[in-house]
Amino acid sequence: MEKAKISAYQLFILIVLFELGSALLVPIAIEANQDAWLAILIGMAGGFCLYLVYHGLYSYYPDIPPTEYIQKIMGSFLGKILAFIYVLYFIYLSARVLRDFGEMLITAFYWETPLFILNTLMVLLVIYTIRKGIEVLVRTSELLFILIILLGISVLFLIVVSGIIQISNLEPVLEEGIKPVIKTTFTQTLYFPFGEVIIFAMIFPYLNRPKKVKRIGLLAIGFSGLVLASVIAINVSVLGVNNINRSPFPLLSTIQTIEVSGFLERLDVYYILITVIGVFFKMCVFFYASVVGTANLFKVKESARLSFPLGLAILILSITIASNYSEHIKEGLHVITLYLHLPLQVIIPSLLLLIAFIKNKKKKSKQSKNLFPKRKYRLVERDKK
Amino acid sequence: MNHKWILLFFIMTSTVFISGCWSKKELNELALISAMAIDKNEEGKYVKTIQLVNPGNVAGGLQGGGSGQSPTVTVYTAMGDSVLEAHFHATSKISRRLYHGHANLIVISEELAREEGITDILDAFERDPEIRTTSRVVIAHHTKAGDLLKSLTAIDRIPAEKVNGTLQTTERARGESMKVTLQNVITTLTSAGKETVISGFSIKGDIEQGKKMENVQQSELDTTLESDGLAIFKEGKLIDWYQGDMSRGVVWILDKIQQTDVILDWEGQENILAYNVLRQKTKVSADTTNDLPVITVRVRAEGDIREVRSQIDLTDPYEILDIEKELEKEIKKQLENTVIRTQQNKSDIFGFGEVVHRSDPEKWKKMKDDWNDTYFPNLKVNVKVEAFIRRSGLRTNSYLSDMKQ
Repeated sequence: MEKAKISAYQLFILIVLFELGSALLVPIAIEANQDAWLAILIGMAGGFCLYLVYHGLYSYYPDIPPTEYIQKIMGSFLGKILAFIYVLYFIYLSARVLRDFGEMLITAFYWETPLFILNTLMVLLVIYTIRKGIEVLVRTSELLFILIILLGISVLFLIVVSGIIQISNLEPVLEEGIKPVIKTTFTQTLYFPFGEVIIFAMIFPYLNRPKKVKRIGLLAIGFSGLVLASVIAINVSVLGVNNINRSPFPLLSTIQTIEVSGFLERLDVYYILITVIGVFFKMCVFFYASVVGTANLFKVKESARLSFPLGLAILILSITIASNYSEHIKEGLHVITLYLHLPLQVIIPSLLLLIAFIKNKKKKSKQSKNLFPKRKYRLVERDKK
Repeated sequence: MNHKWILLFFIMTSTVFISGCWSKKELNELALISAMAIDKNEEGKYVKTIQLVNPGNVAGGLQGGGSGQSPTVTVYTAMGDSVLEAHFHATSKISRRLYHGHANLIVISEELAREEGITDILDAFERDPEIRTTSRVVIAHHTKAGDLLKSLTAIDRIPAEKVNGTLQTTERARGESMKVTLQNVITTLTSAGKETVISGFSIKGDIEQGKKMENVQQSELDTTLESDGLAIFKEGKLIDWYQGDMSRGVVWILDKIQQTDVILDWEGQENILAYNVLRQKTKVSADTTNDLPVITVRVRAEGDIREVRSQIDLTDPYEILDIEKELEKEIKKQLENTVIRTQQNKSDIFGFGEVVHRSDPEKWKKMKDDWNDTYFPNLKVNVKVEAFIRRSGLRTNSYLSDMKQ
């Protein structure tokens, strides 16, 4: 572990950028049709619960990363296997984000450039950042967060001014009842993007004021959930449900629809900036967790040394995980949500928390029993002096 | 120290290789497309017409010199079994790479729209990242789509600009046509409760004459391009053309009217008063308590009196109230005519189905499949108009009231 300190505000920014990163990019929650925003909000509520689980684990072991406390909770052998699975999971997720990024740029803008080139450039940037350490990452995020906010506000303003929002597209609310919305939440939005905050368990030990972690985290998830829900509501109200269902990048289509007074149009660059910044941070956080996790698990002293080999692995993985875009998205939104996210984000952390709870209770009761003899011993020691 | 120099060397060399020159296209290697048109020929092949901007001549014309030598646009046509194939065949005739980024107009021929429908040809346009989904779509009325692009125009040197500009101006000033984008067309094609309407455009005059430079070298053009009605579609096929007040009725019910004029008869004399609508709001609501929904169209219009050709006393507020009532009747009559004709066409271009869908999703599910043929033609549509006259320009009564008779 490097000696770095992150402030509560920096954690807030990092979580927000992380949550928005690739969620703004891909069409999430479209199964809920015009109620997608509702699916996001319910997913956000679920995200709060998951965050409390991760935070509960953290409060038992405030100084060590999950890869280490899993071993304390589950025992050395089982814990090591589980920690290894988690590290692989983080590596896989960062490869996914990298692929999202490459696919988006190629489909919409660089359609003659090979995926490998774009992904390599991004990976090099991420490796460079991570070698500089987490403090550099969070300070960069502070700077770029302001840019994202400004871009977001100006895009919102332009969308409103160009008069393309048709609120009627969001109606009728709950056409098929609440069922499809709940189903979308539990098959998708709960895990992606909200459950993915599990990655921040790797970062919690760096916080300079551990008491604030809970409040700040919940605030950040709430904020990003609201932003995401409103972005999706705007997408639907501008494009309509049918168009959204056919768009691989709904926000891009929305921004392309903007036309203000005959010359403010084709504002695709806004989209590129917002998503590339978001994806960069999301990828950095995943990558950092993989590097630190690997270093911690295999007792590598200088974790920065791992960034090149792991970066290479992620680059190759990002290109080989799917042979086409449909496969990639189908896997991301429908397959891994149930087979990877559900066990690794919900079931295992909850079990860990339960075991940790029982273990610590036992410890406490032991401690309280030993309280008296200890004091006696100390008194004896003092008397000796 | 040595390390740093090596790093610096790599950074310097990398600027040469990664500075964005991958698949670069210089401006002088591009052919800027300003408009595209789709026809179908006798053999059943798609004919794509591409209008290319001639940059030098456009700029020269704006500065007042250099024009007159050669036209501002050049037109190429190519054939193919699909729209995209036609596009690729066109490359054998053009020396530069075709660039769609500035294309802002897609023309579809009336014949193609009527016989085969427009459903099959739009995918290639929507899918291409270079083509804007905000491109305007128009239907060539009484002519081939390709011919519409071949005619040269004055004032706006690029014909595509002229077409878009005209559409926008008529939409704003009178509301007989409207801006329909590629995205609008596709949205209405896929919607079960709303059918497609696209503005029409036609050539007035000799087509061959329009291609020549002489056409724009006169004060009155032999051949001009004109906005011409609205094309009404049903399930992607053109079924009817609306003109004049009929087409304005459509735009009105769709709440796209920004300004328009209404001419009134007064006390037995025809066309005496001209009323200018300055702002209006139209709301459509549905009552689904009965089996057949009842649609209510509420119009609220505000405007001025712009022309009086008799001795009406405009200083009298009661007189104004009477005129307002007359106006309401007139607007109501026009809108009802449009609704009746559309119901006969069995094509719900107003989006009444969507309104029903929003207000009662359960009932809509049952009606959805035969909405156009069974339910829409039998709908009861109430039109309620409120019209307000606010001012009457720089004169109260017309000078006609003071003339000795």
